[in-house]
Amino acid sequence: MTMPMTASVIEASEEFAPATVAELERFLGENARKVKKPVYPVGGRTALHYGYPLCDPGTVVSTARLSRVVDYPARDMTVTVEAGIRMEQLNELLDRERQRLPIDIPQLHRATLGGVLATNSNGPRRYGYGTLRDYVIGVSAIDGRGNLFHAGGRVVKNVAGYDLCKLMIGSLGTLAVITQVTLKLRPVPETSSWLWCSYPTWQQLDEALERLTTTATRPVAMIALNARAARQIVNEIHLDVPVESPTLALAIEGTQKETEWQSSVLKDELSFTGASAMYDIPGHHGESVWTALTDYPVVTDEPLTFRANMLPSRAAGFMERADATGISLLSHIGNGIVIGHFPDDWISWEQSLAILNSLSHQAQENRGNFVILQCPDEWKRDLLLWGQPESGYQLMKKMKAAFDPEGVLNPHRLFVKA
Amino acid sequence: MLVERLRTIVGNDGLLFDPSELLVYECDGYVIEKKVPDVVVFPTSTEQVVAIVKLCNEMDVPFIPRGAGTSLAGGCLPIGGGVMIALTRMKRILEVNLRDRYAVVEPGLVNVHLTQHLKGTGFHYAPDPSSQGACTIGGNVATNSGGPHTLKYGVTVNHVIGAEVVLPDGTIVQLGGQVEDVPGFDLTGLFVGSEGTFGVCTKVTVRLSRDPSAYRTMLGVFNTVGEATNAISAIIGAGIVPAALEMMDQGIVEAVEAAFHFGFPLDAGAVLLIEVDGLEVAVDEEASRIKELCSENGAREVRLANTQKERLLLWKCRKQAFGAIGRLSPSYCTQDGVVPRTKLPEIMDFINEVSARHQIRIVNVFHAGDGNIHPILLFDERNTEQVGRVLAASDEILEKCIELGGSVTGEHGIGVEKISFMEKLFTKETLEVMERVRTVFNPSGRCSPQKMLPTAGACGMEHIERSHPGKKASS
Ligand SMILES: Cc1cc2nc3c(=O)[nH]c(=O)nc-3n(C[C@H](O)[C@H](O)[C@H](O)COP(=O)(O)OP(=O)(O)OC[C@H]3O[C@@H](n4cnc5c(N)ncnc54)[C@H](O)[C@@H]3O)c2cc1C
Repeated sequence: MTMPMTASVIEASEEFAPATVAELERFLGENARKVKKPVYPVGGRTALHYGYPLCDPGTVVSTARLSRVVDYPARDMTVTVEAGIRMEQLNELLDRERQRLPIDIPQLHRATLGGVLATNSNGPRRYGYGTLRDYVIGVSAIDGRGNLFHAGGRVVKNVAGYDLCKLMIGSLGTLAVITQVTLKLRPVPETSSWLWCSYPTWQQLDEALERLTTTATRPVAMIALNARAARQIVNEIHLDVPVESPTLALAIEGTQKETEWQSSVLKDELSFTGASAMYDIPGHHGESVWTALTDYPVVTDEPLTFRANMLPSRAAGFMERADATGISLLSHIGNGIVIGHFPDDWISWEQSLAILNSLSHQAQENRGNFVILQCPDEWKRDLLLWGQPESGYQLMKKMKAAFDPEGVLNPHRLFVKA
Repeated sequence: MLVERLRTIVGNDGLLFDPSELLVYECDGYVIEKKVPDVVVFPTSTEQVVAIVKLCNEMDVPFIPRGAGTSLAGGCLPIGGGVMIALTRMKRILEVNLRDRYAVVEPGLVNVHLTQHLKGTGFHYAPDPSSQGACTIGGNVATNSGGPHTLKYGVTVNHVIGAEVVLPDGTIVQLGGQVEDVPGFDLTGLFVGSEGTFGVCTKVTVRLSRDPSAYRTMLGVFNTVGEATNAISAIIGAGIVPAALEMMDQGIVEAVEAAFHFGFPLDAGAVLLIEVDGLEVAVDEEASRIKELCSENGAREVRLANTQKERLLLWKCRKQAFGAIGRLSPSYCTQDGVVPRTKLPEIMDFINEVSARHQIRIVNVFHAGDGNIHPILLFDERNTEQVGRVLAASDEILEKCIELGGSVTGEHGIGVEKISFMEKLFTKETLEVMERVRTVFNPSGRCSPQKMLPTAGACGMEHIERSHPGKKASS
């Protein structure tokens, strides 16, 4: 196989790691006025394979040196940091005050906050705590013309001006280079615990979810796995739980009293839902479950990874169909998000394409869409990586042009070159 | 001609153009600047909104969406006249799906009507502005409204996942949807809080939340505002996030007590209304920690609302506090600023100082847990010299908020009222980027001209001089 296009473009590009925001402003401003070469912002380089392949060498702009803690008024429960800070470092800082950003980040030790924003990273806790859009209260960024702008501020409630923070989240570095971020924080709960339930059939798992609609408990994560994914995760972290059928994993957090109470009530509520087995995974064992589930979408050797979104109530049905094809599947099933890895023993492109089309069609029928997170670069031009264009597609293209009129920031990563 | 063409779209009873009838629409909750629209239309469907917007484009007249008109920042002021699109007849609840935790509603639906509709289901729509008995979901989306319970549950944007919008050129676009992680930019999140400048929202998909299974509602009584603000800092600093943490100072307590006879201590310098919610097994523990922290910071007593009736009365006192202000003064002006919560003692001292220096009485009732202050300046409209001092005092307080690292609006919006502060909050480059973003949605500037941005609006309409603060509601 030839080297993927993206990797070779990165390799052929120059590298620039500005030490200050002003340096970066100057660089982007000059670039837009003169050479107009592509600019590839990078943080921890964990997600460079997202989106359409890069075409032309340009400059890789690394935020590695923009990683200061600007202000951490812990008693205000906000933190302002530069975008290049590693998530692991940020988490350690917050943990010292028993605070956190309650969002699970894959590849913590490498990922930077800027990259996390650009890709809208998240994990199991999204069910209970939401996603980055609920925590980012301020952003500074530099647009494609070298214009430094700020949105939001450092206070938890603020409606002055348009909320450009929302635009930055998930924009994949196509609108601006994020330089600084202010986050709203939460206290770290005393303890957390998982409940691991096996169901003989997807239908029974779905009935359990239906039952949970009005549960007296408040799970913070609701994950479904097919046997293949469950096996992978359990092998990785050496758990002794059954993995041969669909699994529903529920997490609860809170004080010791709260988690104990919830755990026992959940078991009661689920006792008539046909679970073939139910296991508690409390305390430190639970920690490795969090990590394994969070890293699942990105830590893979499989050829293709997709993310489908749909109404949560349709996710079990979707998984049942997909399960039959041999795909490994994890779902944030309370949020209607299903992530799947195609197995590497499928060699035929035609076979893969047929399954992709059918799954994508099914997601759309359930009001969702179908995004391909990674696959070989040479497949990409024939695929709708970002799903069927949404109704706001034209507005999004105009938005790109408004922030980056020269089209230098990650060109064609979101909007494929015609 | 315009009126005739509009009549063919919305029918005879779907529009107002008689000058006497238009008077109601000359302003919203912000009454300092006034302007009547040329005509008010009441569409009943998205298609009618499209036809109205297209007509406005064809005839080159400005237009502005309006909900209940409770905005406190002049968001509904029809600068340049034109067509006001009132959405109050589009108020259906189109879909409620509990399993998938969403509801699709029309924009004219009154906030509290959704709450009432959901009662008994175990679910609710979280944002609860104090004006919820009147304001519309569309207006909430446009202003990104907050409310007492946003401390724990977030503001409107945290609970809106989709919006159908008629863009200023008349095309319909669906932003977001009923599902999460819609590919592409988060235009839904951007639309929320755009104050009517990105088009007319014709449907909203809101996230529904589970009802908490238990509450503990407390009243902390303090001798001074300073002690109360220290207690707030201590509670938040201890890592407790109550569902609500509201403060009322002596002036407000006096007025509220006269109106509702709750039994508030009239000699207290400040009271805190604190609510924790969650699981029954947890709320007592949290409540007792809060009680301790209040006592450590000088609380005279911490009372627990013992019955649901008592709890509701406490909330009634809080949410209708503004209604009681009429007892204190013929006119009043509510400000809306934000400071980092640990700066509350400083801003409260400053407000005191401003009050003394300008000889303007100021009372306070606000979302303390969020650092979102609402100083209410009391005055007499007929006294023009006093009015000047009120405006000066307001501006000084807002400037102090900026200086302390905060913002000039936590929930009421920029509208026309605070446009002059935008240049103090944001750099020229930032305003230019915002301008570009606005142009993506609203290139002609015909939709809600001269709102939000100091440069907004291509129509070159006159900006009315601020002459006197009005009788504004608090929240
Ligand atoms: C007594 C009182 C208490 C209040 N308490 C609070 C509070 O606790 N928290 C809070 O945040 N606010 C509060 N407010 C302010 C106000 O109620 C909110 O801003 C509310 O969201 C406005 O809703 P509305 O339907 O009245 O909108 P309007 O006042 O009619 O409009 C507000 C803005 O939204 C735009 N708009 C309205 N509908 C649409 C639509 N369908 N599409 C696009 N744009 C639209 C308008 O053009 C305008 O710019 C209070 C106001 C009062 C009078």
